[in-house]
Amino acid sequence: MRTTAFCLALAGVVIPVAEAGLETRLDQGVIVGSAQSNIGKMPQGAIALSEPDSPFVAFNIWVKAGSQNDPKGKEGLAALTANLLAEGSTRQNDYEQILARLYPMAAEYHYSVDKEMTDFTGRVHRDNLASYYALFKNVVLSPDFREEDFTRIKTRTLNYLKQARRFSNDEELSKELLYREIFRGTPYEHPEEGYVTSVETIGLDDVTAFYAKYYTRENVVAGVAGSYPVNFVNRMRGDLDALPAGKVAPVPKPTPATIDGVRILIVEKNTTATPISFGFPISLLRSDPDFYAMMLANSWLGEHRTAVSHLYQVIRATRGLNYGDYTYIEAYPRGFATQVPPTNVSRRSQMFEGWIRPVSMTAPGTLHDRSLFAFRAALREIARLVQTGMTREAFEAQRRYLRNYHVNFGVTVGRRLAYRIDDVFYGIRESGFLASIGPELDALTVEKVNAAIKKHLQARNMWAVFITQDAEGMKKKLIEGAETQISYAGRQPKEVLDEDRIIASYPIPVAAKDITTVNINEVFER
Amino acid sequence: MKSFKAGLLIIALASPALSLAEWVDGSSTIGLAQTAGIFPFDYKLVRLDNGFKAYLIKTNAPGQISFVTVARVGSRDEWEPGKTGFAHFFEHVMFRGTEKYPDYDAMVARTGAAYNAGTGADRTSYYLVAAANSLEQMMDLESDRIRNLKYSETDFRTEAGAVLGEFNQGRANPFEYLTEKLRDTAFDAHTYKHLTIGFEKDVRAMPEGYQYSLSFHERYYRPENCVLLLAGDFDTNHAEQLIAKYYSPWKTGYVAPKINPEPAQTAARETTVEFPGRTLPILTVAYKGPAWSAIDKLAVATEVLGLVAFGPNSDIYRKLIIKDQKVQSLESGFRLSRDPNLLTITTMVTNTGDLQLIKDEIQKTVARFRAKPVDARLLADTKSAMRYGFLMGLETPQGTNFALRELVGLTGGIEPVEDYYRTLMAITADDVKAAANKFLVETGRTIVTLRPAAEGRQ
Repeated sequence: MRTTAFCLALAGVVIPVAEAGLETRLDQGVIVGSAQSNIGKMPQGAIALSEPDSPFVAFNIWVKAGSQNDPKGKEGLAALTANLLAEGSTRQNDYEQILARLYPMAAEYHYSVDKEMTDFTGRVHRDNLASYYALFKNVVLSPDFREEDFTRIKTRTLNYLKQARRFSNDEELSKELLYREIFRGTPYEHPEEGYVTSVETIGLDDVTAFYAKYYTRENVVAGVAGSYPVNFVNRMRGDLDALPAGKVAPVPKPTPATIDGVRILIVEKNTTATPISFGFPISLLRSDPDFYAMMLANSWLGEHRTAVSHLYQVIRATRGLNYGDYTYIEAYPRGFATQVPPTNVSRRSQMFEGWIRPVSMTAPGTLHDRSLFAFRAALREIARLVQTGMTREAFEAQRRYLRNYHVNFGVTVGRRLAYRIDDVFYGIRESGFLASIGPELDALTVEKVNAAIKKHLQARNMWAVFITQDAEGMKKKLIEGAETQISYAGRQPKEVLDEDRIIASYPIPVAAKDITTVNINEVFER
Repeated sequence: MKSFKAGLLIIALASPALSLAEWVDGSSTIGLAQTAGIFPFDYKLVRLDNGFKAYLIKTNAPGQISFVTVARVGSRDEWEPGKTGFAHFFEHVMFRGTEKYPDYDAMVARTGAAYNAGTGADRTSYYLVAAANSLEQMMDLESDRIRNLKYSETDFRTEAGAVLGEFNQGRANPFEYLTEKLRDTAFDAHTYKHLTIGFEKDVRAMPEGYQYSLSFHERYYRPENCVLLLAGDFDTNHAEQLIAKYYSPWKTGYVAPKINPEPAQTAARETTVEFPGRTLPILTVAYKGPAWSAIDKLAVATEVLGLVAFGPNSDIYRKLIIKDQKVQSLESGFRLSRDPNLLTITTMVTNTGDLQLIKDEIQKTVARFRAKPVDARLLADTKSAMRYGFLMGLETPQGTNFALRELVGLTGGIEPVEDYYRTLMAITADDVKAAANKFLVETGRTIVTLRPAAEGRQ
């Protein structure tokens, strides 16, 4: 259960085995960890990670369905279903009783719904394992689908869609809009939480139908990690086998349209700071051979929320235009709330994404000039990276950095378990993604990295989303290709000012027909 | 930056096994080794002649260390007019390098450490999670910048831009917008009057504060006012030697802030604020509380009161959130601070027409807890929740240090964790009632209602 009201985001799927080339046979349970012999025989459809010294046990029930499975016109159904399960009554307990029982354990459970995945996760101190598991399993096994729970959750979701999504976090909104533009016409098009109008039409019967279709024995995987007792995995898998049988049809792999030139969406909002998101599809997944080379290149260009990021150095540290600038090669929802990569947001289709945090008026000038300057600086840096590649020195330094830094990705038992689940999604076998990062980095060369950069990155064809005041004014400026010079509150060295002149007129190849404006009040209405 | 809503509850426990069995349905108690106290890790305190203290906490995390420097300076210490927000601003400036290491970011990048910082009302903390083999580099870098920070006026002004960006981002959040008004309304003299981010006019004036920033560093970043929390995988003797080597040369010179005590509030206060965006209305009912203490039963009982009366297992939570669904969220903020601060009940209301009714419900709950002792089961469950809330936070070295850093901000050390826990376990229903009668009083109350400005209304 989420205590923080709207951690929405995320959602799930079917892994179309042959089609996606991501074979995820769950006929062999994945098992890793140090005490296999104590765990008992590994059942099918289970993922376990034994860590007997941990005081905690973590759970992750993976349902292979997500927002891509939402029926047309019912966008948001997968998320609403998972939300009702995680924050509703079960046949055994009223929701109030569940809360009262979790309370003394200081334990919770959460749901997350992404495009292809739904996950129910939780962690408990092993002192309280039995009482906790009794509640947790029923979330998936025996939801009671009560009208009053449904109304509560639907109302809250609608409030989120109408208010908070549009008015409380412009940065996340700009990212969601970017995803929509890039994946328009594919099952990834809509945000996991759906639209105002689609959620309004969802009834309790839709939820029960979605549950019946996707929460089947074959489509649900049991994940457990930490200091669980002997035979616990078997017991958990056995419990989930009580779900009815049912095969799920695969969803075709999303194929985003090719983008020609720069396309821009400007959201009109009365704001004093402009967040910018930009990106384009890439044919790169975690399971691809080029992935680690691009992981290193991306880490240099824009490691999430670190000053290591080159864009951060150019836009924030040197020029103080905003407070962070980062890039991504995998989906990274809710980046504002996490320092480490989100787990269980595995997707068959990914994009390269840039996140320029809100640009504001920290010196005289205009907001549009400053925003477009920041965007131009980012485009220019990416183009330069593609053109010249990384230097050997930068490559070595970034590799050293990432070699240590990635250790932060799997610091909790719950995260290690979640990564193993993602491994199954991507068909990564043996030691798994987390354990592969170190050796794969060691095997890289600067030539490999620069070849991968040339193959996957470019700065000409992309979508960009701006949320700003006077959208038409910005549109005009873009069409005119006007220079967007900035000023500073303090003195800057000559080399910075010289470079600024180049950045201020760096071309943004956008045609008038490729600039769309929309009012904030209409965003994600339908 | 995270201002007034930081992390976990700090709790402790003396005779842990208690009667948890009453609610645990058996079988699975594998048994955390229950010793005399709640804190499960061994630690050693190193104290240097200049007053600097370091806690060396061995936790189970092979190859990893968490390195947290807690400076006991926060928005509370910003007592000079026109300088609010400076503790947080200074947090940013601390990454701007020294003569020895002009590029802090690049130096840390070489180690692959994850790092950041956060400022609250009572402390600023700088944290790194690093590979165990970079311990000496961490000591070198962190001791160097805290002692020898050096930055140009240009860097300083540039950083002011980043802070203004952060200010604007916070302003877009209606809860933060309301809290700003609440503090300004509830406090007359004490520095808790402003948010950690600072008053807007002060944030805008920051680029002009270069000289002031130098004096800020001189007065607050001194060994007597800073504590190191080192957790994870390291050799204690080696760490101790490094601390002596890198922190002993640091000169004393802390100058305490001249914080005005808050005069007793004599009448209830109430105001509304318009949010320049779209939001549901938000209501906060706040009371003046006591200062934090590990041994004062009334203080600890006040924190318990917040949970039993308005927490996620309270009657009002069940009624308003789950049954009647009249509010979107209900949060109690009864964590105490170094000086007496606000106890808050904050709720986002679904329909504007229900605002009065919700206010009445909160008042009814207050009246009930003033009149009647709390249910014994709820009290016991709450103590358990606080205990496990603490233990659940100790999974990683950083989690451990984060669970302790507030305590360092409050007291300058981590030892009180055990006292706090003992006090908590001894809290009775009468103590909770006494806390309600002492602090949930009309004369100490401030109510702020936030509504969307006309433009944003639906």
